[in-house]
Amino acid sequence: MTATKKKESMKIVPPGKKKCVWMEAGVVSYKLCDNNYDCSTCVYDHAMQVKVARQKEAAVTEPLEVSADKFTETWVEKMMQLPASQRKCRYMITGEVGRKICPNAYECGNCSFDQMMQERMQVEALPVHALSDEGGFRVAEDTYYHEGHTWAKPEYGGRVRVGLDDFAQRLLGRVSGIDLPDLGHQVKQGEAGFRVRRNGDVVSVRSPIDGVVSRTNSRLSENPEIINESPYEAGWIFIVEPTKLRKNLKGLYYGDEVHKYMGEEKERLLSMANMGTAADGAELVDDIFEGLEGKDWDKFVKTFFRT
Amino acid sequence: MSKCVTICAIGFVEEDILDRISGSIQERCGIECKILRGTENPQYAYDERRCQYNSRLILDRLLRCGHDTFGILGVIQVDLFVPIFKYVYGLALIGCQCAVISLHRLRPQFYDHPPNRDLLVVRAQKTALHEIGHSLGLTHCRDRRCVMYSSTRIADTDFKQSHYCPTCLELFTWHLERCQALPYP
Ligand SMILES: [Zn+2]
Ligand SMILES: [Zn+2]
Repeated sequence: MTATKKKESMKIVPPGKKKCVWMEAGVVSYKLCDNNYDCSTCVYDHAMQVKVARQKEAAVTEPLEVSADKFTETWVEKMMQLPASQRKCRYMITGEVGRKICPNAYECGNCSFDQMMQERMQVEALPVHALSDEGGFRVAEDTYYHEGHTWAKPEYGGRVRVGLDDFAQRLLGRVSGIDLPDLGHQVKQGEAGFRVRRNGDVVSVRSPIDGVVSRTNSRLSENPEIINESPYEAGWIFIVEPTKLRKNLKGLYYGDEVHKYMGEEKERLLSMANMGTAADGAELVDDIFEGLEGKDWDKFVKTFFRT
Repeated sequence: MSKCVTICAIGFVEEDILDRISGSIQERCGIECKILRGTENPQYAYDERRCQYNSRLILDRLLRCGHDTFGILGVIQVDLFVPIFKYVYGLALIGCQCAVISLHRLRPQFYDHPPNRDLLVVRAQKTALHEIGHSLGLTHCRDRRCVMYSSTRIADTDFKQSHYCPTCLELFTWHLERCQALPYP
């Protein structure tokens, strides 16, 4: 066990990150989740399951020494060795609920609590853990961005949530209406996915991802201004069951690329809006549309929504 | 007078601030400066709704008023804006050798800090060099320490140095030679 007895200080989980269930169960000493707790599509989970199965087989023929890199139990088996009162529900592990003990031997597929949580989590976007600033625009980290100023965030269960980024929201200013796609509608990356209205003007916005629309944010029909107030959380637009996720993600900005992209877009916006001048020190107003006073609006839409 | 920039105080501006801006332009850009006082407060540019002054209108006026130097830099106390920005520290007409800077948000008091003349002056010098760079045709630099780095917040201004990085300096000299070769309009 010496190898797994790493100093506790080595096991710090950074804010916004969560322990992998394999770490939580104590099978591995340090591993963070990088797949939004969607174990069904997680490469790591798959590899670990295979590893455990192999080593169990091997143990039958020749007894194994127990060492750090020999895994003979899955995380579920390990959790099941705990007293029933200590078997944390996976929503407790991920922090979605306070205290909840698993009554169901980790068979989430048959668990009604899991079903309820799944329903709820579709309605509420996952909270954004890290919000940073790029030239006065908010950027939600751990999120993918399309050049047409939408975002895409893979969530539990392999679904992908989609919304408008802060740049788009500020450029459009006070949104007066939104035309959501129909459920079951097939959207494609880079093609029109939904429309946003501002009084008489309509802007067609590209979808960041290919997939079938499985849910839309019904709150937006009555209160479209939620998009302005909370573009990365309550103002989400639709959820898709993706059809080309891996391929699509390669076509999106992530991490440092997002910051570079937003910075470039800001410079572009400034040079278009300030025709012949360079303005400095500037934080953009919350309603850029209003600031432009209708000047060349079509050109701005074409440029920044890539229509 | 072709190698000279006019520093034009719009409304009241403290003498020593103008002198020290002038000094840093001479040192960093190798351009002589002439200080012009007596330009009145720009009531024509005041926006009632925003309670700020429209910097574009001030630039247009500066450009029209005619001056015998190849460039002009307005210095003003009031808070400036352009329509899509909450505020600006400065605005330049690119390639027209005309710019304006505001001291309003450079004063430590604006951020509830105690008055500090030296800090104010350093900020004003950086902002002036930055806008003069734009007014000659320079764009923003990606080096955070270069005076041509874009300041969104005052911390950006405080972080950068009071001079151009080698690349920007080379560009500056190139632009300067080109526009001084042009006949004065
Ligand atoms: Zn600038
Ligand atoms: Zn530079």
